[in-house]
Amino acid sequence: MSSIYGLNEQALSMARYRLLEMLEQKDRIQFDSTGEHLYDHVVSRIKSDESMREKCRRRGFPETWESALVEMRDALGIRVVCSFIDDIYETRKALSEMEGVRIIEEKDYVGHAKDNGYRSYHLILEIVNPLRPDPKDGPEKLYAEVQVRTIAMDSWAALEHKMKYKKDVRNQEMIVSELKRCADELASCDLSMQTIRDLIRNAK
Amino acid sequence: MRLLLAEDEKEMSKAIRAVLEANGYAVDTAFDGVEAVELASQNAYDAMILDIMMPKLDGISALRQIRAGGDVTPVIFLTAKSELDDRVEGLDAGADDYLTKPFALKELLARIRSMTRRRGEYQTGSITLGAVTLKIEEGELSAENAVRLAAKEVRLMEFFMRSPEKEFSTQELFSHVWQDAQDQNKDIVWVYVSYLRSKLRAIDADLEITGEEGGSFALMKK
Repeated sequence: MSSIYGLNEQALSMARYRLLEMLEQKDRIQFDSTGEHLYDHVVSRIKSDESMREKCRRRGFPETWESALVEMRDALGIRVVCSFIDDIYETRKALSEMEGVRIIEEKDYVGHAKDNGYRSYHLILEIVNPLRPDPKDGPEKLYAEVQVRTIAMDSWAALEHKMKYKKDVRNQEMIVSELKRCADELASCDLSMQTIRDLIRNAK
Repeated sequence: MRLLLAEDEKEMSKAIRAVLEANGYAVDTAFDGVEAVELASQNAYDAMILDIMMPKLDGISALRQIRAGGDVTPVIFLTAKSELDDRVEGLDAGADDYLTKPFALKELLARIRSMTRRRGEYQTGSITLGAVTLKIEEGELSAENAVRLAAKEVRLMEFFMRSPEKEFSTQELFSHVWQDAQDQNKDIVWVYVSYLRSKLRAIDADLEITGEEGGSFALMKK
């Protein structure tokens, strides 16, 4: 069986590296002018053929490249992990200034945390398909789902993910409320660190 | 509610216990000071009634040991002596109230009610001002989002919330919140005000702390 992405695997891969390259460039510019990095690290992935097919089936879409690349918008996923809260918004700004990239949707779960305590900045980017394929073979635009968060938010999300996908956790309710408390404590630490960084900067 | 009654005279102990139980209290009894300290360390009481004159360890020494362990349970002393020195020493050792023998059991009941009521109010500490709620024990500050505060941040925030729209100098804030910290200097106030400001913003609060470094600060509605 061929890939659900059809002939577009290479286009996805090119879009991925183009985005990573532009992020690196923004980081380099910031580091050269301020001596501080825009982010700590970036991870990225292309959703596997198997999980994309599973998702399309679950959502009731046929297993075609149109479903995978037009209806679904997370074939390409990028996570930018920052040291400080303000860097999240700086990264958002950097993304908004990239050539050939448009933010078509964004959700600020940093300013408006989810009920379970989850915090991250989510964006959906629209990127010009670098291969410009024949319309019958592939889309004109590709999408990428981007999550921007601090290191603390990232480790929290990893822990929460572990719990969510593990069946029959003992004392589930207690663990959920402890995770919420942890998320709020980490948020508080992130804010304290941001404040200390600002105090040091202003003292210069 | 559970009470500890430490009284060495058997008949007296029996009589007080009967009245307390008739009024819905669960009562543990101790017959000397050592036993009282032991029970206090093992159980959580809502109030303790200690006789001053007891064998092995007197009530005042027993209370000093209980308080030294960090126990803040309300305590009422029973004393046969009405000497001023005893009462003063008892209060200084950490008692909340005293009764001089002979006393009416009705009065003892009223004083227990008063002490436990006061404590209840103190402990259910949660203050709301505008859209902002501070749960003191949990250290949770919330509006649109919630964050957890460090102990000193809670103290400072509580102080502001209890007197909104009032100006406090850096010195006043320092002496209220950092009175136990001899090795700190007043600059810490600005750091903590800065923490609270960023946290109020992060929960999208409708309150803000106004003021400049080293000057006076006030908690204002936006």
